[in-house]
Amino acid sequence: MNQIFSHPLTDTAIQRRAQVFTILEEICQELEWTQTQFEKARTSYEAVADWLAGSSDPMLASLHVYLHGSGALGTSIKPIGRDEFDVDLISFILDLGPEIAPARLKAAIGERLREHAYYASILEEKKRCWRLNYAGDFHLDISPTISNPNCMNGGELVPDRKLRDWHATNPRAYRALFDERAALVPRMTQSIIASQRDAATTEPFPVRQSVKGILRRTVQLLKRHRDLEFLHVQGEIAPISIIITTLAMRSYEMCVRRHVFADELQVLIDTIRLMPIFIERPLVNGRQIYAVWNETTNGENFAERWNEEPARVEAFYKWHSKALADFEALRDLVGLDAIVGSMKDSLGDKLVARTMNRRMDALNEGRKTGALVLGAGVGLTTQKMAASTPVPKNEFFGD
Amino acid sequence: MAGSTTRNRLTLPQQYLFLQKSKTVAGEGVLGPRRLEWHFRAQPTPLSRTYQVTLVLERDGTPDVRVVDPDLRLLAGERDLPHIYHNPDRLCLYLPGTGQWDASKRLDLTIIPWTHLWLIYFEEWLVSDDWKGGGKHPGEDDPDEGNRALRRSLQRQR
Repeated sequence: MNQIFSHPLTDTAIQRRAQVFTILEEICQELEWTQTQFEKARTSYEAVADWLAGSSDPMLASLHVYLHGSGALGTSIKPIGRDEFDVDLISFILDLGPEIAPARLKAAIGERLREHAYYASILEEKKRCWRLNYAGDFHLDISPTISNPNCMNGGELVPDRKLRDWHATNPRAYRALFDERAALVPRMTQSIIASQRDAATTEPFPVRQSVKGILRRTVQLLKRHRDLEFLHVQGEIAPISIIITTLAMRSYEMCVRRHVFADELQVLIDTIRLMPIFIERPLVNGRQIYAVWNETTNGENFAERWNEEPARVEAFYKWHSKALADFEALRDLVGLDAIVGSMKDSLGDKLVARTMNRRMDALNEGRKTGALVLGAGVGLTTQKMAASTPVPKNEFFGD
Repeated sequence: MAGSTTRNRLTLPQQYLFLQKSKTVAGEGVLGPRRLEWHFRAQPTPLSRTYQVTLVLERDGTPDVRVVDPDLRLLAGERDLPHIYHNPDRLCLYLPGTGQWDASKRLDLTIIPWTHLWLIYFEEWLVSDDWKGGGKHPGEDDPDEGNRALRRSLQRQR
């Protein structure tokens, strides 16, 4: 009784879950571009944009280059074992219609890039785009697009995989929709009283702050989980990022609009849980297909290849259940070793070790500077607290 | 150095009172004429387990800190526990003879926070196999003047 009475307002589970989410947040920060990398990539792609815009080829007269993909959405992550980022660029030609052959437009962009001695030396041709390899840093993928006269939503057309036809797409509207959903703020349970919330948001050793929001973090964590899960899997069957991103943003929107949550971690888990709802099974020509639609234009099915390669369907569902189980386990585990061990298994040993080392460094720094305190109901922390005891300097001894 | 401790030496009842009044860690204990026993639960961070700890201080002695539950050896598996006095296992929380702890220091302001600190490094060690809390092992001390006091205290500890 006495013990309950002396800590009536704290709930260790609330605090634990809040801190698990904070570690996940820090893992995402560890996975992201550094500011230096980001600036370097931006300078490079702006220079490429200027170079392409300066072309004397009349076909490229109305060219406009913009960033799309994860770089534009704020969901980029470092690939496992490499330090290079993908930067996806669209080179959109406003005045060209679908009568132009995709291969011709792509060739014209390639020619313009080759006119530049440095670009020529780092240029690589890919199926649907051109790649500039800035070795060790990043590569820029440049895809040509034209406007889609049939899309009422300002959509574009991109060459298909065989470079024979045009394929509906709408990167700018997709980004706008993603940003709009990412900006939705989940409602949290009112039953948590204010002082509990304070305790729950007391971070043991705050390292960096973030303003990314839960949706972007969910997408980053899922992509990382996918990268690790399929690291040693033969064949290209891993769920592609655009499918993960689309399902996550739709699920997140539904969760946030309909439900009230205990905390951020629960938002993450529920968002993952409901993702498969948005995989549709329409009947097309008498056949039930899989579809993950691009909501911002007509006719772009991100899961198109699932219908030719059933292994991709199975791979998605298997991965999804594993991801859900792994994040649910994190919510319920107790003990730093158990939590960190589980994170290492599902998100990568070195990544999680780097993240934890930063936290331990912050703890040791707090010990050195005298900022470390033992707070009532929260344990050790470097944050200022009313009821707390400073931790005096000591050296551990013994075998 | 060790001699200076007699000046502001705290009695067992004084230590007991400070422990009882602590706002940061609740516990309960038994106070005898020659021996103070204090039981408390330590959860170093909200991510950590809650450990049941017993702290014993005998008159003119040094504090003994034992983790009663969960079993640290079970958690560590095959590995040797870091920073432990053996038989029975007790946490090594400070360097003896340096004045980090002496009888003038309150248990609630030293030993109790250090126990939490030890436990956080312990849980991290469980998963990384690397003790990140620093410290010294017997025998690796440098031959400076504080050493005689250290050796003396060591003999008392073991």
